[in-house]
Parts: sequence; C-alpha cells; structure tokens
Amino acid sequence: MIRHIPLIFKNAIRNRRRTLLTVASIAASFALLGTLAAMYRALFWSDPVPGQELRLMTRHRVSLTQSMPASYEQKIRAVPGVQAVSIVNWFGGTYKDEQRDRSNMFARFSTDPANFFEVRPDVKIAEDQKQAFLRNRRGAIAGKTLAAKKGWRIGERINLTGDIWPVNLELELVGTYEEATDDESLYFHHEYIRESFPQRSARRDLVGLFWIRVDSADSVPRVSKAIDTMFENSPAQTRTESELAFGLAFAAFLGNIKLFLAAICGAIVFTILLVTANTVAMSVRERKREVGILKTLGYTPSAVLSIILGEAAVISVLGGALGLFLAMVLAAGIRQGPAVFQQLKQVYITPTVALAGIAAALLIGVASSFTPAWNASRTPILTALRATD
Amino acid sequence: MPETVIQTRKLTKEYVREDYHVFALKEADIEIGRGEFVALMGPSGSGKSTLLHCIAAMDRPTSGEILVLGQDLSSLNERDIAHWRNVHIGFIFQSFNLIPVLSALENVELPLNLTALKKQERREHARNALELVGLGDRLHNLPRQLSGGQEQRVAIARAIVTDPDLILADEPTGNLDAASAQEVLNMLSRLNKEFGKTIVMVTHDPHAARFASKIRYLEKGELLPDGRTPADWNLPAAEATSG
Amino acid sequence: MRIPFSYNIRNLVVRKTTTIMTALGIALTVAVLLSVLALVNGLQTSLRSSGDPKRILVMRKGATAELTSGVTRQAFQDLKFKPGIARDSAGQPLASLEIVTVINLPSVDSEAGMNVTTRGLLQPGIEIRNLKLAEGRWFESGRRELVVGKGIAARYPDARLGGTLKFGKGEWTVVGVVDAGTGPINSEILGDLNQVAGDLNRMEGLSAMWLVAEDEITAKSLINSINDDVKLTAQAKSEVEYLEAQTSSAAPIQFIGIFVSLIMAVGSSFAAMNTMYAAVSRRAREVGTLRVLGFSKGSILTSFFLESLVLALVGGVLGCLLALPLNGLTTGVGNNLTFSEIAFNFRVGPDTMATGIVFALVMGALGGLFPARSAARKEILTALREI
Repeated sequence: MIRHIPLIFKNAIRNRRRTLLTVASIAASFALLGTLAAMYRALFWSDPVPGQELRLMTRHRVSLTQSMPASYEQKIRAVPGVQAVSIVNWFGGTYKDEQRDRSNMFARFSTDPANFFEVRPDVKIAEDQKQAFLRNRRGAIAGKTLAAKKGWRIGERINLTGDIWPVNLELELVGTYEEATDDESLYFHHEYIRESFPQRSARRDLVGLFWIRVDSADSVPRVSKAIDTMFENSPAQTRTESELAFGLAFAAFLGNIKLFLAAICGAIVFTILLVTANTVAMSVRERKREVGILKTLGYTPSAVLSIILGEAAVISVLGGALGLFLAMVLAAGIRQGPAVFQQLKQVYITPTVALAGIAAALLIGVASSFTPAWNASRTPILTALRATD
Repeated sequence: MPETVIQTRKLTKEYVREDYHVFALKEADIEIGRGEFVALMGPSGSGKSTLLHCIAAMDRPTSGEILVLGQDLSSLNERDIAHWRNVHIGFIFQSFNLIPVLSALENVELPLNLTALKKQERREHARNALELVGLGDRLHNLPRQLSGGQEQRVAIARAIVTDPDLILADEPTGNLDAASAQEVLNMLSRLNKEFGKTIVMVTHDPHAARFASKIRYLEKGELLPDGRTPADWNLPAAEATSG
Repeated sequence: MRIPFSYNIRNLVVRKTTTIMTALGIALTVAVLLSVLALVNGLQTSLRSSGDPKRILVMRKGATAELTSGVTRQAFQDLKFKPGIARDSAGQPLASLEIVTVINLPSVDSEAGMNVTTRGLLQPGIEIRNLKLAEGRWFESGRRELVVGKGIAARYPDARLGGTLKFGKGEWTVVGVVDAGTGPINSEILGDLNQVAGDLNRMEGLSAMWLVAEDEITAKSLINSINDDVKLTAQAKSEVEYLEAQTSSAAPIQFIGIFVSLIMAVGSSFAAMNTMYAAVSRRAREVGTLRVLGFSKGSILTSFFLESLVLALVGGVLGCLLALPLNGLTTGVGNNLTFSEIAFNFRVGPDTMATGIVFALVMGALGGLFPARSAARKEILTALREI
C-alpha cells in the first residue's frame, strides 16, 4: 500500500481544477459539520468546567417562572454534603432601549453576594471590588466581557426597569469579574429588590433559584435527590439538577436542537458523499484505460481498488482538514457572538472533534468511492484498455 | 529443440452475439521455444491480437488449452494471474500506455512496486532499464515531454525491468515514424539476441516482422501452419500503420 | 442560431449517474433551506392568521409579554367600562382579566419537559377569542378543571382529555380540548381565572387584560385612549401587533438555517461546477464539431449554461419533494416573549418552494457559468483534437 502512495497523490492532483473544486466543496461542508459537531459537543457532551461539576441548581418543579419560599435556603444548607447555598433570581426587566439595541439584552440576576462567592469560588474578582460589592447594597458586578462590550467603567450607573419584579433599580457598578463559563452577566443584591416590596407582600420572601455547591462530585446525585425529596410534600416542589443539565434546559427551549443538529449533519454528510462519489466516478471513468495498464503490469484487482480508494481518501481528508480549519474560525466567531446559552462560549474544535472529523472524512472518502473503485478494479483488462473515455 | 515456453492446443475464442457468432481464434496450435522471437502477422481481425492476449492471460479462451511457462493459465484465479503476469510477462503496447502523471523513472518503477525490492533497489533497477534503452538522461521527464519513440522505449524499459521470461508486444511500431520504429525493433532484437528473451510480437508490418526469428501467419482466426503464408499475402504498405 | 435544447437533455440523461448525484447534492441543500423556511413560515402563519385587529391586549407599561406584565383588579374595573368595547348578548362588555403563567410538562420530545403557557381567564375571554371546543366541555369556575389547546393535547401525554396535571395547590383535570386553529391558544392550557390565581397565590397580581373593540376604527381610538389614561399606567396593543413581535422567536433557528444552507450552497455550486467542467471536457470534440457546423461561441455558452440550469432545476424540484413531507408536521419552538412553547405546523407553501427553486437555479448558474465560458472559448481545432 505504502508503495502506491506516490501514484495515489499524483492521481489526486492530476486534474487540478477538479481536485480544487472538490476539496473546496468538501471543505465548505466540513466547515459546517465541524462547527455543528463542536456545538453538539458543547451542548450535550461537554465536560463540566472545573468547579461546575460541584454545583447544583434547585428550581420550582413546575416552572422556572415560579418561585420558592426563601426559607428553603436554611433547609438545603442542612443537607449533608452541601457546602454553600446562594439564592439567584432572574430579574428580567429592561435596560435602556432593548427592543432596538439587542446588545442591551444581557442576563441580570439578583443574589446574596456573600453566599454567591461561597458557591462560586472560581469567580475571579479584585479583593477591593469584592469588598465594595459586599458593602454597597446598590452595588453591582458585571462580567468582564459584558463590561467591555458596553464600555462600562467602575462607578457606571446602571438603571433597570423591572417587569417580573415590579421595581426599578438604580445600580452602581462596583466591580468586574472573570469566570470561564459566565462572564456576560450582571449580579446585584437581592436585598435591594426585597426592600422595595411592602412589609406584608408575599413576594418579599420568594426566591427563583438556589445555587448550591457540594463537597464532591460523588455527592451530586445524592444531594439533589435529598433536596427534592425534602420538599416533596411542600406547596412548592423542587427540581434539583446539575448546573450543566440546568443550562441544557435552556437549549431545549429553542426546539428540538438535537434533532435539528442531527438532521442537518445528516444532510451535510450525504452531500459530501455525493460530491466525493461524483468526483471519483468522473476520474475513474476517464482513467479506465490506466487501470488496464496497471493490470497488465501485474496489479491485482485489490491493488487497483486500494489505489482508487486511496485517492478518494486523500481528496476527502484534504477537504476535511481544510474544512475543520474553517470550522475553527467559525467556532471562534460563535464564541464572540451573543451568548444565547452559556454553552456556546464552549464551542471549540477540540482534538476529539477534529479527530472525529478527519476519521469521518476518511470514511466518507472510502465509502463514496467504493462503487466506482470496485467496478474499475473488476473491469476485464481488455475492456479497460479499449476504453477511450 | 529448446525448452517450450508457450504451448497451445486447439485454442479457440468464440464471440457469440444474438444472431451470429464469430471465431476470433479457431483451434490454434502453436509452440514457442525459449529464446525465440516470433512475429504474429495477419490482417485486422485475423486473431493475432487475441492469441497474444490469451498468452498474456488478459483474455480467456472459450476452449482449448494453453500452457505458458509450464503454467496452465485456466487454473489460476484473478489474483494469482496478476502476480504471475508481474513476474513473468513484459507487455508493450502500440500506444505506449505510460501513466501520464508519472515520470519516465516512476513509470518503469511501477511493476517493481509489486515486488519485495526496497525503494533504493527499485530505483536502481528502473534506472538501469532506462539506461539500457538509451534514456538515461530522460529519467525525470513526463511522458508528454518525450517523443513517441522515446515513450515506446520507456514502455520497453518498463516491460523488461522485472526481468520477465516473456516479452509480448502488440504492434509496438504501429504509432511510430520509420526512424523510431527502427530503433524500437533494434532494441527488441537486441533483447532477444543478447539477453535471450523470448519475444512474441504482433504486427502487420512486414518490415517489422523481418526482425523476428520466425513469422507465423493468421487468417480469419486460423493459425496457418508453420512456414505457410496466406495465398493473397499482399498488404499495401499504407495499411500497416492503420492500427 | 440556437443549439436544440434536446441536445442538453439527452446529455444529462446519458450521464445519468453524474446528473443524479449532482442534482441530489443541490436537492439536499434546497431541502435544508426549505425545512427552515417552512418552520419560520409555519410559525408566522400560525401567529399572523390568528391575529384580529379588533382584539386588544392591555399590559402594564413597558411590559413586552403577558408573562412579565402585571395588572390589578382595580385597573380592570376602570377599563371595563371604557367606550368602544363590544358587548355580548347579555350586554356585558367583552373584556377579560387574565393571569398567565408557565408550567413544565413532560413532552413527547423531551423528558425534561417543556414550558407551557397556562392561562386563567374570565368567561368573556372565551367569547373574545371565539373559541370552540373540539372535545369535552368547558371548565367550571371554582373547580380545578382545565381545557387544553389541540397542539398541547397532541404533544403532551399528561394533557390529554381526562388526564390530570399537578400544579399550584392540587391536581387539575383536563375536561376539554379546544381547537383554536393556528392561533396561540392552540399551545396553551386554560382554566378559571380565580381558581388559577388562587392556586398560584396571586389573587391580586394578575397579568393582563383582553378586550374586543366594536370595530377596527374604534379599536384604534380605544388603544389610544387606554395609552393616554395616566391613571391606568397600562399600554394597549392590537393582537396583530403583539403576535407580530413573537415571530422573532424563530430568529435563531432561521439564522442558523440560512447560514447553513448558504454554506452548503457554496459546496453544491462547486460540485455543479465540477460536473459541468467534466461535461465540457468530455464533449470537447462535439463543441468543435458544433462550431464547424456554424454555431457561434454565444450559442455554445448558452447551451452549456442552460444545461447547468436544467441540472439545478432537477435538484431544486427534488429538494422540494424532499421537504414536502414536512408540510403539516407539528413542531414547537420556544417563544422568546412568553417563555413557553408555541406549537405550530411546518408550512411548505408555493412561495417557499419557489424560493427553493430560485435558490437551486442560483447554484446552477454559479456552477455553470465558468465551464460554459471555457467551452465557448475553445479554439475549433484544439477542440476537435481533444479526445
């Protein structure tokens, strides 16, 4: 096989224009395939970012939009294995003119800062800014990326008009933080919202989400089960899941993403198969005579077969590699784009994705060219030698 | 009598179509000994190429027996035949049939890729073969950079590089001008005389046939007895190059 | 002088394997585009066709969706008697105070469940929307009874007629299924206002108000009068306007889909170009012959270009056929304003298919232009000499 490599390569670049067009065509498809695969991996297979595997989210069983009593916090804290608990509320509301400028749509949460840093020790923030945030009830911290996008500086006034929480907030940016999965959110004191409600209001003591850190990854299933069981018979039942699974629930919101991605990938793979098959078929037809020559020199049908398959594999792997390179560029673009889900920040062409892509290219090359290659290798010598085209 | 390398008995190739059938070759008996240079002559459709193809195991006879180098070709499968061809046969075509993307050296090296030789040895053998045909200075030229005569010499180098027992040539001068044809014929003759190669050459050019040590004639699929020429043997010279 | 069209057709037929493979590649690209367009089209049809300019939604100022809006019972009392609101047979104004929330139901597609809009409404709310029952009966006030939209009944096993759902303070029975055509109610669960609000502990914190104006002109002035009413601190929108804003829910899928099909189209154009170049080189001698017969360079160019278009057309038609089975298939996307799922049908309409065909032809044109030009530029003698 190795001895045939020079011939395989020379055959592959024989019709330069055709090879170029085929490689370009396959590359376009693989750019997509690679990007979609990277998205799929980021959404459904990604390993938790360090620290993430220790975190759980507890929400109302019925829906994210329903709240739980704040008193749950103490009960959750008592579950063995729980190290820290913090509350988080999706604030919603509007910042400036969101309808017109979509960059004004960013995630904003109210929380209890002291516990927040306990649950998320991996949030990097300057100590003086952290202290300022803990002290200032109207203080807020923003992810570095968000602050950079909006051009915010420390001391920036951020006014939010509430909707789910019918209060208007006048916040002051006191710090910026860095974190691997989440650096485009704004966090502020839940206490600020609470104070805005009258003493008797039922909403004062309602909480949207509990964010929990446990002692080890092994405790995750046990703790989540323990929490949900604990509130089984309460008016507000809970659903506790890993931070990763929680994020996925948002992705499910866009529709059946898995099916959507799979269907598109299927269509793309099939297109690549067709393109490669067509190219190989055209090349083989034009070179039937040469197959005859090789056979007169003593090449066996299987040697001929492997030479043709090899050529197809070279072309499709070349296209695949180029495509995956383009996919890296696309993936970088997606990471820069709006954070529809946190997971999209994790869209990388990882070595696994790249390797799987190359393997797929190899497989597609071989599979698509098998029929024309097989037929050529089985053509009787005389028929092959007489072929003019 | 030298050792027999090719022996056929009642070798027949019959083509059957819907409403007619035709004998490309009819009960041909031929015996060719080691070191012979035999020219097979006859007009188009006389069966000379069919006979050559059967000897090279490129075509299978409808009936009859054929022993080449003591091997019964009908007993071999496709894979073994390919190997057998690689080891024992060197084939020269009318239209040279070099691989256009490979250099002269690489073309000659092609059959050696199937042997156990190392890269260095393959190169060496291929270079020697090309030097033998006088193309030592054209090693890295592509076929399209060579003249017809040079291309055919590369093809001859490719045919002899494996040191085969038998060289088969199908109208080797058919596509060449007179001077180049002369060179090629000289070379074949030399291979026969100096290196003792057995050569079977199909031609319908009487001038080419004169280089052979023996001429056998075919007519309408039948091999005429040794020494016999067809009664109306009077081919106009022009037809000799019509392929 | 034109080269007969049948020359191209015959050639495509002769090279049928190549033709089919290239056309199929184009077909798949078209099919991907069409499925996305069918999804967006279906969503838009579903939202637009059900909008009635006479129906008015009143929410708190600044709210963009019922879910994030809040209104009080007092505001409803003030609003109910505004002039211009249509009345029912008993002379009562057609206005309904409503509460909207979202509950999570396990669906056929996802075990984790999808969010479904649940609405508590007053009796006039049914007449406001001209709702007709497909099965069962309406809920009774004071009971934990629900009526579900047809789309919900189909996609959520728990929400079939006779099923029970658990939320709020107890179990709710599904007593009816309502057929709201393509309207949003089709993807909602309905119950009695006070029962739903009570179970959610939100007797005062209700969501929005719906009403029907006497006619379209009154609707406009009614909207203005509500928006200008400082006491109400509410804003009114026609249903048409409100639903229009929700069509953007499919924007992410639309964006991804169009992006994907464009890149696939680049690939398919290259493939078509390959096929056409091969056709040109295979028929070089024919091109030479045609030129000798007196056909001009222009007619050679036209001929090959047309052939590429025909090839693409075959692909386009195949692509439409591939996408056609999607027509009528029910799917759902998350609504970015209501935080719940809207169920709707894919719609492959004539306009969608026409887009697909045009898309295919563009690929064919891109793929065919250069090969056709190279065929036309061949010198007669060189062409004749090529094999």
